[in-house]
Amino acid sequence: MKTSHLLLAIAGVAALLLFPIGIDNPYYIHLLETIMIYAILLFGLDIVVGYTGQVSLGHAGLFGLGAYAAGVLVFKLSAPFWITVPFAILFTAGFGALLALPALRVSGPYLAMVTLAFGTIIQILINEMDFLTDGPMGIKLEKPMLFGHKLDDREYYWVVALLMVLALVVVHRILRSHLGRAFEALRGSPVASDCMGVSVYRYKVYAFVISAGFAGLAGCLYAYSEQYISPNSYNFELTVLFLLAVIMGGRKSRIGAMLGATIIVLLPKLLDDVVLFRYVSVALAVLVLATAVVAVRRQRATPAQMAIPVVGSIALAGLAFWLDAMTDWRLSIFGVIMLFVIYYLQDGIVGFVQKALNLRPPVATVAAADVDAASADAVSTAAPGGGGEDVLEASGVLMQFGGLKALNNVDLRIRRGTIHGLIGPNGSGKSTMMNVLTGIYVPTAGAIAFGGRSLVGRTAADIALSGIARTFQNVQLFGEMTALQNVQVGLHHSFASNLLDVAVSTPRYRRESAAAVQRGLGLLKFVGLESFATEEARNLPYGKQRLLEIARALALDPQLLLLDEPAAGLTAPDIKELLAIIRKIREHGVTVILIEHHMDVVMSMCDTVSVLDFGQKIAEGEPAKVQADEKVIEAYLGGST
Amino acid sequence: MQILTQLIFSGIALGMIYAVIAFGYQLTFATSDTLNFGQGNALMLGAMVGLTLVNFGLNYWLMIPLVCLFGAFQGAVVERIAVRPAIKIKSEFGWIMSTIALGIIFTNVAENVWGRDDLKFPSPLPESPLHFLGANVLPMEILVVIGALLMMLAVELFNRRSIYGKAVVATFNDRDAAKLMGINTGLVITFSYALSSMTAAFAGVLIAPLTLTGASMGAVLGLKAFAVAIIGGLTSGMGIVVGGIILGIAETTTGFYLSTGYKDVPGLVLLLIVLAIRPSGLFGKAAIKKV
Repeated sequence: MKTSHLLLAIAGVAALLLFPIGIDNPYYIHLLETIMIYAILLFGLDIVVGYTGQVSLGHAGLFGLGAYAAGVLVFKLSAPFWITVPFAILFTAGFGALLALPALRVSGPYLAMVTLAFGTIIQILINEMDFLTDGPMGIKLEKPMLFGHKLDDREYYWVVALLMVLALVVVHRILRSHLGRAFEALRGSPVASDCMGVSVYRYKVYAFVISAGFAGLAGCLYAYSEQYISPNSYNFELTVLFLLAVIMGGRKSRIGAMLGATIIVLLPKLLDDVVLFRYVSVALAVLVLATAVVAVRRQRATPAQMAIPVVGSIALAGLAFWLDAMTDWRLSIFGVIMLFVIYYLQDGIVGFVQKALNLRPPVATVAAADVDAASADAVSTAAPGGGGEDVLEASGVLMQFGGLKALNNVDLRIRRGTIHGLIGPNGSGKSTMMNVLTGIYVPTAGAIAFGGRSLVGRTAADIALSGIARTFQNVQLFGEMTALQNVQVGLHHSFASNLLDVAVSTPRYRRESAAAVQRGLGLLKFVGLESFATEEARNLPYGKQRLLEIARALALDPQLLLLDEPAAGLTAPDIKELLAIIRKIREHGVTVILIEHHMDVVMSMCDTVSVLDFGQKIAEGEPAKVQADEKVIEAYLGGST
Repeated sequence: MQILTQLIFSGIALGMIYAVIAFGYQLTFATSDTLNFGQGNALMLGAMVGLTLVNFGLNYWLMIPLVCLFGAFQGAVVERIAVRPAIKIKSEFGWIMSTIALGIIFTNVAENVWGRDDLKFPSPLPESPLHFLGANVLPMEILVVIGALLMMLAVELFNRRSIYGKAVVATFNDRDAAKLMGINTGLVITFSYALSSMTAAFAGVLIAPLTLTGASMGAVLGLKAFAVAIIGGLTSGMGIVVGGIILGIAETTTGFYLSTGYKDVPGLVLLLIVLAIRPSGLFGKAAIKKV
């Protein structure tokens, strides 16, 4: 962290802590307390929405669950604060797991639906289970005792402030760790995550559970803050407000979450005061109009594009003067603001300001010393087997899509330490074979054994961890992550640290993290990309992206590396570089399967070549022999019938 | 036994309404992989507009086509405002949030136009129950079942037989290929939304005489229809009818034997169980992911 940032953070925390001393009005103290509690929830919600890209409509329900977990414990058992807080967190996280485990098995809008249903059900349950929750009557509770001393409003404010800062630090650490990288990666490219041993399903669930835990903490603090909880506070409207806060403040940003929390706490108050709202809406209309004029003048936008926000904001101002009270139309106004934010302020206020001021989002920098120190030979040496031993043995593999047999009874034996070419015309089943070997497809029939263990039916992530790495025909990098982070996702398996290690930053985690940076830089050096370490992957030129994919695959410490058309689209000098890298990989004892259309590459590199055509293996053997095979020539050039 | 038969009958009627709404979800999911999270609000608006027309003195049966027209228009508006921009930027988050936003706006507008209280919708059929298998059946319940089935059949026939329907099916199978074949896929998606909201509005005027009509009637119905769509499978027509009936009966029996307060619970429980055991739904086909 830069010194200026550190000073700013200290000043912010100090201002937060000194606030109740400076301003004695309990109303404002309570308002700021609510904002901080919401901010804790939003830190968590941002992990799900901002990082993994899933939509949760159940966070109000989880918030309520946390509040009631604390409320019921106090009400029934008069449990102390230091028990209710961890219990609320764990209880809510458990419910989060219950929802996420089934809902995330399939991709699509399922999580949104399940959480929406959950949000409704939880309200019903709280209402109905009055033997526990006292039903619609709600539960009254007092400010907690701490060390035998009952906290007053101001002291409780400090407790909340401290817990928020703590939550902030923990969330920040999680998102910067290998867990955070996993969350970002699975959004960037789910297939590639799975093939890097980062199970998309598992980490989506993980993200949701962590997020639910924060919602539980926030709910628990809220119960003590309000001193009264009732089922109707945790409704759909609150869920929508939470989501609005995340996207309006700015995704993937802690400042955005705090900003969003401030907005959703103050907005309803603003709508209650129609006179104030009139001023604000007029100011907003003028601001939007000015922005539009500037944007059109600078030719950043067409008048037609800007017409909708301008007309919308003027209409809002008109509405404010036409209506006597805004309260009845509150939800419509939230709705309109949401639509506006979704389409015109996609990066939120934080993103908008960053763009307007041309600030780049902070990128993790790498010390030059680290780069120099990184060993250029970070590729692990695969365990040498006896000569001639098969590393992979596939027999009778059948892959059927409806009536199409993409692979028909294919046998494949890959000898350890060799480069095995897999060629064939387009649509002959080469890439399907790759997908079957890496667990993306489950073969209809046939057996595949890798190092003596069957691969059939195992998940892609599991297969990747057992030592098969791959690259993709159409590059599948995690575009918004830096080159180094991409490789670090591949190194995910080298972390034994769990959530707790990350949260308190134990020596074990720090050791593993430092090692991952070293290995990552070393692997980048291996493919000649060390100078691009902090560049976002999507900004790299195409040839470099392909090399980065290889580096990422090598991070898995594979026994077997599958390269799917690595030379496609490369220039001649790039290809030369690529060949040198592949040779170096083989020198480390890693077995390579190479799919390639460049015949010179295949013929010069491979020890054995298999040829597929229409899903069947038509030839196999040494390159020269295969090249002369009549069936192969016929498949490529057409036969003389 | 008599009570159980009774519960099953009302469960079937309720289930058919869920099935019609779920059918609406399927229509838009088929063409664009998106769902209208405000589908319940489309139903509510249909019922509200229908009630207004009936109060103006229009006959119930003449009112139905007008409500259907209104529903279609409402659906097209939703697609244009909320879904199209999101499809353009390929944002799942975008369409989920913007259809929810529109749903909130519709509910709020309805509250302000028609008030917050539930209103009684006059029944077009006699309200004295018929006796059937020892149980009481309201004529309106029979109308609900017949009407729902007819509506789904009509849309299915249209999709299978007419050239416009073929365009819908083609878009469902492969949006890009359909586009290359000269089908205006944007229009097809708008059309599917219009159809979807039309069925919802129709379901609204069917169910309204049996329940009360109010701005908040749509949310829970829409939600449970989600559950039905997933339980049955988002791609199976048969699935939603079966899923609807299962959920409908589960609810009426839970409501009777346990407590009416809990009657919304089996929907979610069923939903979670189905997702855990068979994520593609009871009758749905598992999608093949392509790399």
